[in-house]
Parts: sequence; structure tokens; C-alpha cells
Amino acid sequence: MKKIIELKNLKKHYPVHGGVLRRQTASVKALDGVDLDIYKGECIGLVGESGCGKTTLSKVIIRLCDSTSGKIILHTKKNGQSNLEDITKMSLRGMKKKGIRNKLQMVFQDPATSMNPRMLIKNIIAEPICEQQKISNIELEKRVVELLELVGLNRNHLLRYPHEFSGGQRQRIAVARAIATNPEFLILDEPTSALDVSVQAQILNLLNELRQRLNLTYMFVTHHLLVVKYISDRIAVMYLGKIVEICQTEELFNNPMHPYTYALLSGIPSTDFENKPQRIVLSGDVPSPLYPPKGCSFHTRCPFVIDDCKILEPSLLEVSEGHKSACHRKEEIQKLILDKFNINGFK
Amino acid sequence: MPIWIRGLPIDVRGRTKGVFMLKNHYVQRFLQSWKIFIENPLGKTGVIILFVFMVMALASFVVPHINPMYDPMIGIDPNISISTGPSLTHWLGTDNVGRDLFAQLLEGAKVAFIVGLSSAFFSIVLGMVIGMISGYAGGTLDTFLMRTADIIMVLPSLVILLILSSLFGQFNIWIIVFIIAIMRWPAVSRVIRSQTLSLKHRPFIEASKVAGASHLRIIFRHIMPNVLPLAFLYMTFRVTSAILVEAALSFLGFGDPSQVSWGMMLQWVWKSGNMFHAPYWLLPPGISISLLTLAFYLLGRAMDEVLDPRLRKEGRA
Repeated sequence: MKKIIELKNLKKHYPVHGGVLRRQTASVKALDGVDLDIYKGECIGLVGESGCGKTTLSKVIIRLCDSTSGKIILHTKKNGQSNLEDITKMSLRGMKKKGIRNKLQMVFQDPATSMNPRMLIKNIIAEPICEQQKISNIELEKRVVELLELVGLNRNHLLRYPHEFSGGQRQRIAVARAIATNPEFLILDEPTSALDVSVQAQILNLLNELRQRLNLTYMFVTHHLLVVKYISDRIAVMYLGKIVEICQTEELFNNPMHPYTYALLSGIPSTDFENKPQRIVLSGDVPSPLYPPKGCSFHTRCPFVIDDCKILEPSLLEVSEGHKSACHRKEEIQKLILDKFNINGFK
Repeated sequence: MPIWIRGLPIDVRGRTKGVFMLKNHYVQRFLQSWKIFIENPLGKTGVIILFVFMVMALASFVVPHINPMYDPMIGIDPNISISTGPSLTHWLGTDNVGRDLFAQLLEGAKVAFIVGLSSAFFSIVLGMVIGMISGYAGGTLDTFLMRTADIIMVLPSLVILLILSSLFGQFNIWIIVFIIAIMRWPAVSRVIRSQTLSLKHRPFIEASKVAGASHLRIIFRHIMPNVLPLAFLYMTFRVTSAILVEAALSFLGFGDPSQVSWGMMLQWVWKSGNMFHAPYWLLPPGISISLLTLAFYLLGRAMDEVLDPRLRKEGRA
């Protein structure tokens, strides 16, 4: 499998200023060392609770904000040869010059606010095309109509304003805008969380269909586990700015190997009342990302904490093929969970 | 043949319906706002007064052609050499050299419109551009521009104008317009800046950054249309202050001597010693100044109500 994006020890710290002299007193560690390889053609799901750094990660990758340290490497093709492009410090303009700006696009969470209320639909969709390609007006209009039809709208919608559409239609327009420049990698930042369930399904199906037709790679950011189970090939679980577990979707639901994943998955509502797994209720709150705990960042809430957890930071290591977990007790965790909570995977 | 709407060609044959819809949309929105505007007693009064003055300003182009002696600046009634009261030939009477006061009043309306609207327009353009740039850029540039705005805001504009005109002699009317514009942009730019600050963190700005839009494009294509209504609102208030400053300046004798304006008329009635003998000369320009500024102020208030639904009374759409 070919990689498309590599993240190497990516960190994003937001400085906090305090005192009379407004000196930097601390920093919010929104991303605290993220390593992630994203392969061409896959859909990787990113899950985690609020404030764990999901959105920050997507903004850093799309270069809406700078990372503090670490590297983002984009694999591109130049004259038929594969080419590595370090975009960590590259400006948006620099990326545009190199012609790689259009490789990365993003769909935002709330379609109501992610479109200029005073722009026509056709100008909204045409904007990325106009910015990145020189194209005649007639061709541009053809392309815009083609995009609209691709997402299930038609040319009658060209001359309307965003407020004249329903939420689902607006999200379709946002998707059309994102795929307008033939991107290879699309970040979907909770694209369905502002929609109701029936429309969610439509959008997910549309995204699946587009992925196959246009050979796209997705990073699907969400906190909705069932959505991510439906659409993703692989899932990465984040906690406090770090990835704690990553593996294939099936594998994650069948054999989770991190206590946090267990807690997260046990929270999925189930209609199967007889075999309903016991819920793992974590005590306390997420620790402040200002002062993350020493050692394993999850040790303050983990039911299986041992002394090692409080001192040593576990690294994300492979347990079985393609399954990585950051836990000191990853080998024995399944047995521990089975003994204590009587949970054996989430089918 | 394609027609052009907002930068993209629309094929009329294929999509007349679409074009019609677009026009319809604009018309509808305008009519809706107009209804709210005109239902407001303030707005209605403002519009009526403004209409009267507009007719007066237009009439000033016609009057000198009826009879050369009705020229506001150089037309002199040969039979009259002192200030006389209202009569059939001179509806408001004449000044001390026999010029028709009514013609001067009409000319004054024209000048008031020119000075008020153009200096308000320039100060709005200046204030809007500076406000948007400073709000969008932030940091040092923002601090620099806003401190400059603060400095200009606390300067007494009339005194500055007086000092400048006593240094450089009497100003042309356009120079006065520009100085008023330069003195009056800071308040606008503060408001526009605060609006920009809230706009620049909206997701659609981020979305257009992702699309590859440059900063200038974001400012003028995405932020400007969203602050424009506010700028127009402030323009009406700027008109008021520009008219008042010009009148004060002229009254104090620092106006453009080659131009009849209401302030100039007041200056002449005072200088010629008729202040307390010729109410027909003193009152019309004074009342006109008050009424016209009042009209623009009322207009602004009514517009405020259109733009900010929270100010509307219950039961009104």
C-alpha cells in the first residue's frame, strides 16, 4: 500500500500568556506527538471525545494552522515519479505555487456557517477552481454543473444562496466544493454531526460513492462511533492529543487493546438488551491539556493502572499485524477486561 | 449571447428562469427592507424631507436659466442695492447687493448634498478598507492603525480645519471635503474592524483559505459584502456631520468664497450687519441646515432598524 500522508511526531501547543508582562506561562498541548501514516485510497476514522485534538489535527494537516514541531510529509507524483513533499512549514501560497494545494481539501462540520451567506452557489463551488486553475468561463460553468450533478444536485441550484437549501443539500454543496479541484486527500471534519440521522446516511453513502469513483483518500473525524464504523477502513482513537490505538475497523470493534477504547466502545447504545455489554464508566474528567499527567496520559482514569503507568509514557507499538496500541498492559488487557467487566469485544 | 452576472456568464436561452429567479430575489429582498423602512415613521419623515431638498437641489440647475439675475453668485437685480424682504420677483427677498436669496438657498441645497455625500463616501471607503485590513491582519498592523485612528478621533476636526485654512488661505470646496473625510474615518473603521473580527473566525473564511483564496480576496470578496450594510448605515451619520462642519466653517469665514452654501449665506448676513434686521435672510439657511441633517439622521435610524431586527417593534415583520 502506498502512503499518501505521513505525520511524524506532530505537536501543536497553543501558548497561554499570563502575568503582568504577558509572558508565556504554559501551553495547551492540543497535539502531543502524533505519528500516523495514511495510505492511498483508504478511509481512516479519527475518534475521541471533545477536546482530544481531532479538529486541531485536521487543521494542522490542511495547514490552517502551524504545527509546533514534527513533520507532515505529503507523497505526490511528479512526472510519473513519486516525490516527497515536506509541507510542515510550507505556506498556503507556497503550496499553491507547487501545485499541491489542490491535493488536500476539507469539508467542514457545519454547512450553515462554512459557506458565505452572500455568495451564490455557483461562485462558492467555483472559488477553489478559480483560485488554482486558469480556466475559461464556459468551461468553469460546465465543471460546476458537473460537480453539482456528481453530488446529486442539478443546474437549477446554481443561482441560489446557501440559506435557500436544507442542511443535507448544503453539505452536498460543501462536498462539491471540496472535490472541485480533484483532490487526492479529503479531510472530513464531522461532516454529518450537524445533520439528522436520515440525511446523515445519505451523505455517508454519497461520500462512499465518491471515494470509489474519484479514488479519494479520506480522514474522517468524528465522535460518532457508529458512523465511523460504517465508513472507515481503519480507526485511530485519540486521547488528550495522542493516538492511543489504531487498527482496522473490524479489529478495533472485535479486539480492542486499550482500556480507553473499551470505555469508548462500551458507551455505544445498543438495542440488544439481553447481551448488552456492561458499561465502563470512567471516573473523573479528562485531565487539562495544560498540564497533562506524567507517564501514560490515561493513568488518572484507567481502572487497571499499575506503577509503570504513572512514570513511563507508553509508546504506540504494534501488538499484532496493523494493530498498534499505547498501553503498558496491552498484552493482558483483554483478559483484565473480561475478568472485571465481562466484556469480550464489541460485535 | 451570454450575459454576465457576478463574474460568470449565464446563457440566457437555457436559463432565463435562473436569471429571473436571481433578479426576483434581489427585488424581493429590497422590497422587504423598503417596507420595514418606510413603515417606520422616522424613515418616512426622513425620506420626505430628503425628497424636498433633492428637488430643491435639482431646481438650482434650472433657476439661473429663467433669468440671469437669479444666478446665486453673480446674478444681481439692477433695481435693488440693499437687502429687501420677500416679494413676487424675489420669493425670499434679496441680500445687500441684490442677489436672490431663494436662488442661493437652492444652490446651498446642492452644495450641501455634494459636500455631505462625497465626504461621507470618502470617509466610509477609507474607514472600511482600514477597518477590514486592521481587523483581518491583527497584530502590529492592527495596533498601529487603531492607535492612528484614536489619535485622529480625539483631534477636534473643526479646529484643525480652521488652523489649516488660516495657514493656507481659503480652501477649495473639494479640499474641504477631503479634509472632512480624513478627519472622520476612525469611528467607521472601529465599527468595521469589530465586525471583521467576528467574521474572520467564521468557518467560511477558513473554507476559502482551504480553497486557496489570497488574503486580499478574502477581505474584498468574503468580508466586504458582509460589512457593507453597516458601512452604508454609518454613511448616513457621516453625511450629517460633514454638512455641519462645512456650514460651521463657512459661517466662520473659512469656506470656499467662490461657492454659495448655507453656511456662506449665514456668513454674509452676519458680515453685512443684517443679522437682526433680515430674518428672511437669516432663518431659511439655518432651518435648512437643521432639517437636512435631521433627515439624514432619521434615515440612519430607520436603516439601523432594517439592519438590526432586534430594534424592530413587536408585530412588525
